[in-house]
Amino acid sequence: MEKEVIRRILISEVLNNQEEFNAATQNLVSTTKEDMGGKFKLVFGIFGALALLGLVSLIIKITQGFDDKSSWGYYSAIVSLLFGVFGTAPMVAIAPMIAKADWHRPISRIANMFTAAGLSSVIMVFPLIFALPPLVVGGYRRRSIWFDANIYTPHVFFGLAVVGLFLIGLGMLWVTSIPDLASVRDHSTGRRQRIAKVLSRGFIGTERQWISLRARIGMMSTFYFMFLIFVHILYSINFNLELVAGWKDAIYPMYHAMTGIQSGIATIMIAVYLIRKYYKLEDVIKIDQIWGLAKLMFAATIFWFYFFICAFMIFWYGKSAINEMTIKILVNGPYMWVFIGAFLLSFIVPWWIIIWNPVRTNPPMLVLVAVITLIGCVLDRIRLFVISWQVYGEDTIHLRYIPSEDIPDSMIMPTILDGTLFVGFISLGIFMFLLMSRLIPIVSIWEKHQSILLTKHIKFYRTEVYAVGKPD
Amino acid sequence: MQQRRILSEKQINSELLNGNLATPKWYFPVMGVLGIAVVIGFSTILYMFNRGLGVTGLARPVYWGLFITTFVFWVGISHAGIMISAILRLTQAEWRRPVTRAAELLTVFSLLTALFFPLMHAGRPWRIAYWLLPYDFARGIWPNVRSPLFWDPIAIGTYLTGSTLFLFVALIPDLAILRDRTTGIKKGVYTVLALGWRGNPRQWQLQVVAGILLSALMLPIFVSVHSIVSWDFAVTPAVEGWHSTIFAPYFVIGAVHSGVSAVVTMMCLMRWLWKWNNYIRPEHFDALARLLIVVATAWLGFTFLELIFSLYGRDAPEIALRELQIFTWPWNLIFITFLLTGYIIPVGCWLFKRCRNNIAVMFWTTILVNVGMWLERFLIIVPGLARKQIFVYTWEGYWPSPVEWIIMAWSFAWVSFLMLLFARFFPLVPLFEAKESQVFTTEMKVGRATVPMVIRE
Repeated sequence: MEKEVIRRILISEVLNNQEEFNAATQNLVSTTKEDMGGKFKLVFGIFGALALLGLVSLIIKITQGFDDKSSWGYYSAIVSLLFGVFGTAPMVAIAPMIAKADWHRPISRIANMFTAAGLSSVIMVFPLIFALPPLVVGGYRRRSIWFDANIYTPHVFFGLAVVGLFLIGLGMLWVTSIPDLASVRDHSTGRRQRIAKVLSRGFIGTERQWISLRARIGMMSTFYFMFLIFVHILYSINFNLELVAGWKDAIYPMYHAMTGIQSGIATIMIAVYLIRKYYKLEDVIKIDQIWGLAKLMFAATIFWFYFFICAFMIFWYGKSAINEMTIKILVNGPYMWVFIGAFLLSFIVPWWIIIWNPVRTNPPMLVLVAVITLIGCVLDRIRLFVISWQVYGEDTIHLRYIPSEDIPDSMIMPTILDGTLFVGFISLGIFMFLLMSRLIPIVSIWEKHQSILLTKHIKFYRTEVYAVGKPD
Repeated sequence: MQQRRILSEKQINSELLNGNLATPKWYFPVMGVLGIAVVIGFSTILYMFNRGLGVTGLARPVYWGLFITTFVFWVGISHAGIMISAILRLTQAEWRRPVTRAAELLTVFSLLTALFFPLMHAGRPWRIAYWLLPYDFARGIWPNVRSPLFWDPIAIGTYLTGSTLFLFVALIPDLAILRDRTTGIKKGVYTVLALGWRGNPRQWQLQVVAGILLSALMLPIFVSVHSIVSWDFAVTPAVEGWHSTIFAPYFVIGAVHSGVSAVVTMMCLMRWLWKWNNYIRPEHFDALARLLIVVATAWLGFTFLELIFSLYGRDAPEIALRELQIFTWPWNLIFITFLLTGYIIPVGCWLFKRCRNNIAVMFWTTILVNVGMWLERFLIIVPGLARKQIFVYTWEGYWPSPVEWIIMAWSFAWVSFLMLLFARFFPLVPLFEAKESQVFTTEMKVGRATVPMVIRE
């Protein structure tokens, strides 16, 4: 029954005539028009105001100084969360594209647009770089993956990496949007048309332009992916692991990247649901896309557990003082309840919900899963980052491990400023996303056209199926 | 990318059964050579049992050497089957079809071979039962169920059982074809094995559901097997270089790298020996090479992280170990060879489409990968033990004895022998997959181009 429903929905997607081809263009270009109604403006305004609140909070935070490292724990957790929520969201477009999948086409633009939301993490990162201790502390070099490099090497390289990631992301968004900007240029008027004309760089769709475009998209996507992993590795090690004396965990950077991807998928799930509903794009974003996202989320929850257990097993069995310290800091210490919450909400609950077939094709249920996962991710970042900045000290950083009695008994609670930073910078990301949606169609028109060209509804014995073209 | 060939069912049957219904000229000479190698190998194993482990190069402090390296290597190769069959089936990769059977078969035979090595390594294998079962109730001597060494045989046993079932389920439709084309005893055996297969819709439905279910169920086992093998090492803090949290995924991704490479090597041989050019085509090599680039690069990333974190702690013994591995003769030669053969040369070649579509290049580069991956396991296992430690009163360089080399060579001959023996009686390329591929692929004109299409339900 369920298969039949999915099949019918998939079949209905196939639009193999020119009229519908043009209708798709008009329909999708219109998503950039200004007269979207008061509701959009209201939402836009609210997020703009909240973003402003975030920026003011940031200024206040900077004025409070960088000496009290423990006060930067929640801040660093928020930055980590932003790398996941906004930074890894484009992976939802990149990974299926590399695998030559077809289902991602209607949502790849939504995923790519989150690169613009990365502005919020770029702004937040720079004060944090100033809070990061240099490689020489108290006259001695602390343990670092930078070894004997200049004492501010991590600060400089991380700053460059974050800016690089943001710029490559914007470049990728621009490159993937060129054919659509050309459509906007040809189907709109006024200021929007002028901007689209400049940004579309004279694209008229010649064979040469398409070949060049495909190559550029491939290169930008690969660069983005590599930079993203690089940023996750640097951030998780320099701003988290290195602050805890004795914590040595080679899988941790990958865990950080993987959980980031999980939160990115959750973000896309929520965004796709809202955009599909409020832009009335049910004919474009169908169950196939929802289903594809659900499968990715299912895989991501399992990866969360696998990477966690890989590290936990080694610490648990090692039974050395270093191992026991690491378990106390990450699992059963002052943040035990936060860990339990993260374990439940990042793995157990979403995994148990999404394992059921009907849920994977049910958009509201998937939004619920996404929200649960994001809460889990917030808790996970808190248990990892806040304690790292809490236990950091100029005296303890050079020890082989932190003695049990020196590990704090209670957790640091977030301040109001931490709350406003959290809300403000998440809002800034959403604000940037909405801003981009005014210029670039929210669904990739050219990918939709490609989908129309490369899918065919055919009779197959006694049933009907659709065939997907796989060009080289 | 897909170079579709239109083939009739009759042609598919006759071409893919050419090794089963007739005997190729090269078959018996090759089997003869492999058979001699297998007999020599078994004789050496018996000799070792008779004389004891003293005939090997193993001595304190290096008590895990070539046998354990080769055990890890074959467990790694076994990851080919599930990667190709289960993961690519679940992701509906059309190009997987001609290689699934060979990959599953490689899984089963490499696991069977891997199991020999811990048994041999035990010296007196008949006493291995004590390792798994309680042997003295009165004194309360029980196996340590908390040890990964105990989990290992359970995980591998489960994986072997599941893989065999997986292989058998996919073989049933082809067994029915063989049943209908043979006579005498052969027909009787095929009749029993085909389980009354007639190819009616209900049987097909069950077969497809069983395939998907087994694919999904085998995935966690696939990951757990090599993770547990890695924990054999990683839960041991006493040996430098072993106690690392990254070992489990690092071993798994390395296993996929070597396993998929081994499948490509097999595909080249299948194409050359049985002339299955219509089925194993350059497009399949191209797709597998692309997959291998991704897998190999991920594996290199894990290698890099493992190395960085070993130095990060600034512990003198750990740094000394890495110095031994990377800069000291002869380990430095092994290290450079491992990097060149495991990644730099093969991936460097695969970046070019011309190489990906060249069968000979693919053959030699995938052989190189497995040379590199074997060396990687050797570099992980031996130097950590060979280095002087505070509680070690003797420290000597380990060099495997001729007995160990012969037994290792035997394992390759043994796997090849089993594969060829299987190929004599069962088709190595699934017939039903080849026919399904004919039905599930088509072409369409898009502008001036003809684009291959895959049918999706």
